[in-house]
Formats: sequence, structure tokens, C-alpha cells
Amino acid sequence: MESAAGSITALISLQDVTVHFSGRDILHHINLSIPAGRSTVIMGPSGSGKSTLLKTAAGLIPPDTGKVFFQGKDMLLLSEGGMRELRRVSGFVFQDGALWENKTLMENLSLPLQVHFPQLSQAEVERRVVRALERGGLVESAHLRPVQLSGGEKKIASFLRALITEPAILFMDEPTLSIDHTMEEKVGQMINDAKARGCAIIAVTHDPRLTSTLADQLVILDAGVVRETGDFDTVKRTRDTRTRQILAEVLGEIASYDTDLLALLDEEGEGGPQ
Amino acid sequence: MVEALGRWAGRKARDYSYALGFFFLVLRETALFMRRRQVAFRVLVLQILFTGVEALSVVSLIALSIGAVIIIEGGTILPRFGQTSLVYSILIVVITRELGPILTAFILTARSGTAIATELGNMVVSHEVEAYVSVGISPISYLVVPRVLGVTISMIALTIYFNFFGLFGSYLVSQLIKPVPMLEYFRALLRALQLRDLVSTLVKAFVFGVIVSVVATFQGFKVGSSVTEIPRAAIKAVGQGFVLCFLADALITVVSYV
Repeated sequence: MESAAGSITALISLQDVTVHFSGRDILHHINLSIPAGRSTVIMGPSGSGKSTLLKTAAGLIPPDTGKVFFQGKDMLLLSEGGMRELRRVSGFVFQDGALWENKTLMENLSLPLQVHFPQLSQAEVERRVVRALERGGLVESAHLRPVQLSGGEKKIASFLRALITEPAILFMDEPTLSIDHTMEEKVGQMINDAKARGCAIIAVTHDPRLTSTLADQLVILDAGVVRETGDFDTVKRTRDTRTRQILAEVLGEIASYDTDLLALLDEEGEGGPQ
Repeated sequence: MVEALGRWAGRKARDYSYALGFFFLVLRETALFMRRRQVAFRVLVLQILFTGVEALSVVSLIALSIGAVIIIEGGTILPRFGQTSLVYSILIVVITRELGPILTAFILTARSGTAIATELGNMVVSHEVEAYVSVGISPISYLVVPRVLGVTISMIALTIYFNFFGLFGSYLVSQLIKPVPMLEYFRALLRALQLRDLVSTLVKAFVFGVIVSVVATFQGFKVGSSVTEIPRAAIKAVGQGFVLCFLADALITVVSYV
């Protein structure tokens, strides 16, 4: 793999990154490059360190060893302005929504705008928030607190909050987990819109449908180690037994299968070495 | 044995340096609070409302009771030694210098310290703190500094209020035992009051406010990923808050008499 720091087109790159929790290696010497404007999907069994990898790439968890680069600059050495810029151009959708419980939906969506665009008037902030809420079908809930929303609505609100500043990088942790089909379609639409306007997307997901429609690059993580990375088409045709096993296990964990992807795996499995 | 001791010492050293680092970060961000563009002013106002205004009734009751106890005890014992007038000095020393600040600190630790540690702990577990970081908001300047300022400002205001109410309470009770004209009573109190009593009460209120709030926010942020850690954080916020307030109280008292 190309040197993470040396990659010119890399928006975010991880170089020999290790993360420990309670004396246990969660990520082990990870080298990874996230290209600008493309979508990267991280897959792996439960507990393989996917969420930790996503948060480390987003600069939310500092690595214990190794470096994470944003546009070629070490994230840990970024100035206050540099870090603010990183936050302005990135959005993060948390697995459980992580909406601020003591704020209304309007306040949840207003805060990122107030922080990154202090020149905006309150009226303009509200106008933008209402426009976003209309897009997510949540305008009627603008003055409700997260506890008054359903799980799916929280997920949508989390997306809207991440997208309100029109970020260039969108991090998503299990974006379609625990939501019904209607909500899933809304989420899919928002992801497609973000992708269409050139937003780089880095997603952790077990959802084969989302993976097959979204992934330009696929990363297979296993026990904190990057097992395989590359173009989606290349990785899904891999002959590596463990990777194929992981893909089958991960896809087997969910109820709805992407028939194309599974069919491909079966087809490859018949001819390939096991 | 030696290895275990070494590990324990290493862990303690790490914990203390982490706590010190947190404290200095809070100090730095507090100094920069007014210059930040972040929208934390509302959090400060809400904190003063919760810590200061909502604690008024509890503080009033305790201050009245303490004032009453001192005047009853003093009014009973001191005349036996022909030292009735000493009751005013005792009132000033006990309420203004000692009980006013320390009891107010206890009330705030029990109410706001636990509330802050629990609230922040919950926010850590539900990833709300990470969400603040993800949108570019420093949890220290947005979540910690307004709480530290709010608790410290409330602590100072409530201590002054406690002192007034304690002294006023003792006056009310004195009217039941041995009525004294109001003017004479408060004139005698003012004669007993010295500048260092005022300085001592204000310094203690400030230091206790900082201790209660920093310990509570620190313990709240120390919660990891499990909700079972939240009650432990609240208990530690109270325990450590009390101990540190007592230590600081003793130190300030010693310094003020030197």
C-alpha cells in the first residue's frame, strides 16, 4: 500500500496507527489512505475495531502510536485554527445519533452553524435549520427534544446535524442500523446527495445494500488489523480465505442480503481456493 | 510485591498528572472564556440559576438553623462566665469565617457536584461529548468552564447570603430568648466583624467553588463507556469534594491567622 503520509490525493491518511484501551490493542499498526471525493466503507466482524478506526480517522480518538494526517498535516500538530477547519469541513454521524439531549432539534442543528459561521444572523441560522429539517421531514419536530423523537427520527436528525455545514468529509458509524425501511430510504437519499456533491464518505456498516451502492473503496478490518483494502470490486473478488470468511460472516449477520454481492461471493467461492 | 507497588505508584502518578493537566486546561480556558466566540454564555446563566437560585431555600433554612443554634448555645453558656458580649464575636467567627463557606460548599457539592458529575458522565456514555468535539466545540470551554464559573459565582453569592441569613436567624431567635433591639444587635455584630473575616469568607467561598466544580467536572469526564460508572463518579465527586474543601479550609484558616 502507498505510504499514508506520502499520498498526495489522500484527504485523510493513517500511518502505522495503534490504539489501546485498557491495555488491549484495538487497532494494530493501521496504514490507510482515504481519498478525497470518494466513498470508503469499513467492514469487519463485531469488535474488530471499526468504530474506533472511524473515530481515529475523524480525529476524535488520538492514536497511541502512529500518525493521522488531514490533508498531509499531522492532526495532533494542527493549530487551533487548523483543527477548527477540520471540524468545519467534516461531519460525523454517530451510531446512536448522539444528539444533545438538553437541546431542542432546532438547537442541535443550530449549534454547528453558530460555531463555524458566527457571522450568520440568528434569522439566517434558523432559516438554514428549517430548510434542513424540511429535507429530513422533521420540521414539525423542530422544538422537540431528542427524547421525544423515535429512533429513526434521531438518526435522521443526526444526519442533518452532520450535514448542516455542508462538509467535504462525512463520517458515518452504522448509518442504517436499527431504522425502518422508510427511514433507510431517507438516509440513503441524503448519503447519495452528499456523494453527488463530491463529499468524501467514510462509513462503517454491516449493510450490504448500502455497501454495494456506496463503496468506491472497501476496507476489511479483522481484530484491529486491516486485512484487505482496495477498490470495492477488487476486494469483493478477493481470494483471501479469511477476507471471504469475514465478508460472509458480516453479511450473514443481517437479515436482508444484497443478492448481487452474495451471489458473487458464492460464484467466486466455487472456483477459488478455500 | 515490589512490582505491584511500582504499578500502583505509576498508576497514581498518571492519575495525578492527568488531574493536574485537566485543572490547568480549565484555568487556561476560563481565562480565555470571554474571548471565545463559542456560545457558552447560556450554559453559564443556566448553571447560576440551578446552582445559585435554586439552592436559596436550602441555604436559608440551614443558615437560619445554624444561627439559631449558636445564639441558643452562646446565650445559655456564656452568661455563666460573665462573657455574654462574646456571643457576637463567636457568631462572626463561626458563621462568617467557618460555617458559612464550608456548609455552603457542602450544600453545593451535594446538589450541584453530583448533578454535574452525573450529567457529564451521561453525556460521555451517550457520545454527546464526542459529538461536541466532532462539530468543533471544545468540551472544556463549552461544558466545563461555564459550570466552573457558574458554581464559583454561585458559591460566593450563596456564602454571602448564608452569612447574612445566619446572622439574621440568630437575631430572630435571640428575640425569643432575650430580646435585644435590632440596632444594638447588628451594631455589636459589626463591631466584632474584622476585615480579615470578610477576606477569609470570600477567599474560602472562591476556593471551595473552584474545588467543587473542577472535581465534579473531572469525575464526570472520567466516566468511560458504561452507565454503571456514573453513580461512582457522583460519589467520588462528593467524597473528593468534601475532603479537598476541608483541607483547603484548614490551610486558609492557618494562613489567615499567621
